[in-house]
Amino acid sequence: MLRRILISVLVFAGCTSMAGAADFELPALNTPPSTEHHQGKIVWADLVTPDLAAAEKFYGALFGWTFHRIRAGSSDYAVAMLDGRPIGGMMEKPIPAGERRQSAWLTFMAVGDVEGVKRAATAHGAKVLADSRSYPMRGRQCVLSDPEGAVFAILASSSGDSPDYLPVSGEWIWSSLHAKDAGAEAAFYQELFGYDVFELPSDDGSEHLILSNDNYARASANSLASGSTRRHPHWLNFVRVDHTAETASKVIAMGGRVLVEPRVDRHGGMVAVVADPAGAPFGLMEWTDSDTKVEPK
Amino acid sequence: MSTLRSRMSATALAAVTLTMLFACEVTGVGVEGSVGYDGGYYEPYGYDYGGWGGGYLVGPGRCCDHGDDHRDRGRDGHDARGGQDARGGHGGGRAPAYRPAPAGRSAPSIPGRSRGR
Repeated sequence: MLRRILISVLVFAGCTSMAGAADFELPALNTPPSTEHHQGKIVWADLVTPDLAAAEKFYGALFGWTFHRIRAGSSDYAVAMLDGRPIGGMMEKPIPAGERRQSAWLTFMAVGDVEGVKRAATAHGAKVLADSRSYPMRGRQCVLSDPEGAVFAILASSSGDSPDYLPVSGEWIWSSLHAKDAGAEAAFYQELFGYDVFELPSDDGSEHLILSNDNYARASANSLASGSTRRHPHWLNFVRVDHTAETASKVIAMGGRVLVEPRVDRHGGMVAVVADPAGAPFGLMEWTDSDTKVEPK
Repeated sequence: MSTLRSRMSATALAAVTLTMLFACEVTGVGVEGSVGYDGGYYEPYGYDYGGWGGGYLVGPGRCCDHGDDHRDRGRDGHDARGGQDARGGHGGGRAPAYRPAPAGRSAPSIPGRSRGR
């Protein structure tokens, strides 16, 4: 009798566990899948926020994103879609009472071998924040902090990496790392991803480096701005917009803030840094197609 | 007596199993095969961006006409000396921690090809 009960309980437990896991399926990065791979390319971003419904409302109105909800353990997760393509995720995570935490977008970089890159990262001073783990359809990923503490993630997509296209308005277009020692940080990421590193002329005393591979700029590494009083190294992701100033005004109207006022950047278009109503910072960047010249490929 | 003991054991076992399942569901982190998601990370609260002066440029440049140069991706050419000119000087000649791209190569831009083109 006891044995029967035991078997029944275990079968029930197994079924419950499998059903729960099946509920949480991140979408594939690429549909249909490909064998394309771009080591070090930034291919995904995840927002952690205390109010998912508010985040959906904000980003949906700002960029035209739509959302597909999936369950993630005790929290809810929403896949952000643009023109039917998944471009990022948003996860609700309660903030313990009495604590203050910084809502943020987590930057995911493409790798072919999560375990190998994780080993290289930890050997060069990184820490593992969430150990490597596989997700059905998505692939294997791991969350790390770099030697200065900037948080990033690596992802070995099981459906290949996104092709190299110019992002449309509403898509992620650029990422910048802001660190105390941009050169040392660039060396760290170069070890992991094999980036080519270009130092760009600067007249502000800061170090500004372009990290590239496959003949494309993938990100920049920059000294933290000298005026920042609370300096925490971090990655910042930019969404392509048609009008930076107009979009920044919408951010304010919807309860967000402008952290860096719209300004002209290296490519001649306007950029700004804003924060959503929960405080998560992200960038806005204009980019005109007509100004893009000859393709290297 | 024996039946009673069996029932109590089964009840205890079931309770333990369900408690473990509940715990997995609630925490949902860090364990291969667990239900939750490991992607969300709060950062330290309250950092600021300071003043981005006129020279504080974080974006990519426009695409250049150096496609042939960019195709030369041999790692052998990535020595510190080769990158000095392209980098516009680095800390008064101090060797950088990274391997600079070779001189003669300009920093590339982002992809310019539109989807579906």
